[in-house]
Amino acid sequence: MIYKILLALWMALIIVASFFYSEAAGGFPGETSRILFFHVPQAWIATLSFLLSMIGSAIYLKKRTVDADHFALSAAELGFLFCVLATVTGSIFAKATWGSFWNWDPRETSIVILLMIYGAYFALRSALADPDKKRLFSAAYSILAFATVPFLVFVVPRITTSLHPEDTMNPASPGMDPRTLKVFLGSLLAYTTLFVWMLRLKIRLLRVEDKRDREDL
Amino acid sequence: MYLLKVNSICKYYSRTLLFKDVSFELAGGDALAVTGWNGSGKSTLMRIIAGLIRPSSGTVSMYYQDEVVPTDSRRRFVGMVAPALSLYDELTAIENMVFFCKVRGVESREDTCRDMLRLVGLDDHAHKLSGRYSSGMKQRLKLAQALLHHPPLLLLDEPGTNLDSKGMQIVWDIIEKQKQWGMTVIASNEKREVDYADRIINLSE
Amino acid sequence: MKRGRSITQTESSTYLNEALAIWVRDLRSEFRTRYAVNAIIMFAVTTLVAVSFSIGSFRIADDEKSFLYAVLLWIILVFSALSGLSRSFVKEQEAGTIDTLKLSARPQAVFLGKLFFNLTLLASLELIIVPVFVLLMRYPIAHPVPFVANVVIAGLGLGAGTTIVAAMIAQASTRGALFSALSFPLLLPLMIMAIKGCEQASVRLGPVGWAEVRMAFAYLVIMVIVSLFLFPLIWEE
Repeated sequence: MIYKILLALWMALIIVASFFYSEAAGGFPGETSRILFFHVPQAWIATLSFLLSMIGSAIYLKKRTVDADHFALSAAELGFLFCVLATVTGSIFAKATWGSFWNWDPRETSIVILLMIYGAYFALRSALADPDKKRLFSAAYSILAFATVPFLVFVVPRITTSLHPEDTMNPASPGMDPRTLKVFLGSLLAYTTLFVWMLRLKIRLLRVEDKRDREDL
Repeated sequence: MYLLKVNSICKYYSRTLLFKDVSFELAGGDALAVTGWNGSGKSTLMRIIAGLIRPSSGTVSMYYQDEVVPTDSRRRFVGMVAPALSLYDELTAIENMVFFCKVRGVESREDTCRDMLRLVGLDDHAHKLSGRYSSGMKQRLKLAQALLHHPPLLLLDEPGTNLDSKGMQIVWDIIEKQKQWGMTVIASNEKREVDYADRIINLSE
Repeated sequence: MKRGRSITQTESSTYLNEALAIWVRDLRSEFRTRYAVNAIIMFAVTTLVAVSFSIGSFRIADDEKSFLYAVLLWIILVFSALSGLSRSFVKEQEAGTIDTLKLSARPQAVFLGKLFFNLTLLASLELIIVPVFVLLMRYPIAHPVPFVANVVIAGLGLGAGTTIVAAMIAQASTRGALFSALSFPLLLPLMIMAIKGCEQASVRLGPVGWAEVRMAFAYLVIMVIVSLFLFPLIWEE
């Protein structure tokens, strides 16, 4: 309980600090760079989640333990949530910086593809009624999707240089003066902690649902 | 030589229990009948034994000369006839037979396949598309298909479906022959089919 | 002794023989029923006509054509493929032969056989649509060899990426839309590579698209290997 309060306070602190403690980065119009305190950790969590979900799927395929599937599913759901958040905040940033909400540059493209993979994963799960099949097939799909990721990494940067000669995003290192760095890392910590908490909550929820289902029998 | 051990099988579908604690052992020469109300899970049990689905709990093991047959190899030792197991309608009977021989890695000479068709009385219709067969003929073709690789375990789910008395005689002959060395499981509620077996398990209990 | 022979016979048969038997059987069935081919060709022809009709009358500069036409061609190919590649598994499920096949054949053989079948469908699709597209749209191709290589290899990749997905959705409740939804994210990298490759092969200067062919080939190999590994898991419950 105490950790949740601490986390809430910490996040509030970060939000305030992102506006008042750190300075807006040069090279970006006005105050827009501040969104990066939120956007980058979200994107980072979305990617991390994808990786975790795939690991869970791999474990499920090997061991067939329901816990592994709970882990994979929870990571996927949270990953999807953070992916949507990252897309929205990124889009807002794009509009403020370059004037249009969507540009299909490498990062935007990658995040959309990630969204599609998540979407397909959930669609597959909901289309299969039998729980064993559901877990098995979605785990297999996870692995398949993961196998295509290296190609994305190669391919996506290439299309932008030829399709769209516009500038590409480079938010990974927004002029990191000490204050900005502190707030950024603080935000990263906050988001990661939030993610871990939500993940554990979600897994517990799935376990309880399972138990209830079994007891009904 | 061959042994089938079924241990405490139970099966749930979503939240409904189909059956539980089904156990039996079969050796060469045994014939078991499985009976029960419609929906009691006879077909499901047959599919579990065949290895098509997994039981919710319990084990099914087949042994060849005291060695366990791995589940993914079980198909070599099992021949199955069931309403849900169809053959290819757009192929002729003989094409179906040759295909299933090839795919099982069994010698696929046309004359051996014709012999099998002769056994079930379909020799004259070997080159007809099996989709054009009557339901009784389709059933006979299914029987022929199940025997192609001379399986030690024959699973017959309602083998008498759509068969006339001549057809039933064919089933009887097949089971008799199978009883000489192999194992048979018959799922049915029909007396004339159940009578072929020496033991009975009732799933409705 | 008959029993002994049946077991040893199985040892000597290879996956390839069994896969070929499945492939031939699928071809024969397809030839007699034209179940998948109809869907694919109809879709391809319709889209091709729509594209040609709507764009054909515009004067597009040759250097712009290279990119635009590559995109259009691959949209036609990918979506036509998606309309028909799941059929071989779905048909087995609907006809009730899927379990008979599960009981008779080894999973790897089933996968390879179905893969070969899908690749045959794709090859037929490309053989018909690509030349017609090139002629109809007056597609200027500066380097035909890498162009054809791109089309062929990426086409194979299309089959490799979707066959196992077809097996999954055949056993699900909502077939058609789900197949496209699942396949598309997997195919996207391949599609992008193929478009780029065709674009470069149709332009006189610069790289001609062999890098893309290599990447498409890598995709093909990886997807086949991963699928071969995963297929037995999803084929046998």
